[in-house]
Amino acid sequence: MSDHALRDLLIACADTKLLLGYHYGEWTFGTPELEAAVASCSLSQAEMGHVRLLHAILKKQWDCDPDALVETRDRAEFANIAFLDRPLADWADFVAMNVVVDLAVTRVLHSLRESTVQAIQVNVAKMLDEERYHAHHGRGWFRTMAADPAQRDRLSAATARALASARVWFGPDHADLAAALKADIDGISPAGVAVRELPAPDFAKWNPVTRRIGGGAPEEEILYHLRGTRNAIFKLN
Amino acid sequence: MRVYEVFARKAHDEELRHVGSVNAGDDELARVYAWTVYDEERWIEMCVVPRDAVISVTHTDRRLPLAGN
Repeated sequence: MSDHALRDLLIACADTKLLLGYHYGEWTFGTPELEAAVASCSLSQAEMGHVRLLHAILKKQWDCDPDALVETRDRAEFANIAFLDRPLADWADFVAMNVVVDLAVTRVLHSLRESTVQAIQVNVAKMLDEERYHAHHGRGWFRTMAADPAQRDRLSAATARALASARVWFGPDHADLAAALKADIDGISPAGVAVRELPAPDFAKWNPVTRRIGGGAPEEEILYHLRGTRNAIFKLN
Repeated sequence: MRVYEVFARKAHDEELRHVGSVNAGDDELARVYAWTVYDEERWIEMCVVPRDAVISVTHTDRRLPLAGN
């Protein structure tokens, strides 16, 4: 992997974690049970912490400006998994995000765990350790919902959308990562939910920097809240 | 939904102590709920036990002398 490709991949991981942090944080309220609210808040904090770690690496190795990456960049430059571009419609979307999108980034970070860049190696180990709890949460809820015929179809549809989105983000050379992710999910509840096969995306117009096909970006409203635009006047220098 | 009792310790020379309880749909969710609800300390060990798996010795009606929900 070229030096720039590695930088862009880390930015894509940080962007996805930033949006994950936003959605987990927003779902501190509205979860089906109190413990899930506390867990969601905690997952949000972990993702935001990981963004800081990744941005510190990007600054040290490539002199990227963390402030610019979050605050001033055009939203069309965000390289997050597209499932996170819009608000989550319901708890099925949340669980699909948890079990697919969160674990998709973790898979990529796992592939970087033996990086020759020491800062990546050390910080990825810490992130992977924390991600164990994210996996427990996603799998626990996936299994619970898969067992309920009233919830199964919505979970299946949301999971298929999340998987399709992750498949595009992984890119044309990493069908293996997408297949491994689908196998993980099929393994959580083998008899419960049939998640349909991934459609093969047309990668002809895939952008390796934004990791998207034909554009797309997080909604303005989401970035407004994420950046704290309304309260920018109170920002400490 | 089951109630799980949460036990934890901060150092190897400490004994596990009861720190609280969580409600969870299964063992895997109980793990993450215990870890996130009782995260105020740097635990070196934490475990959960389904309340209904504990056999009471002193209370023959099986009510546990433990705080919790």
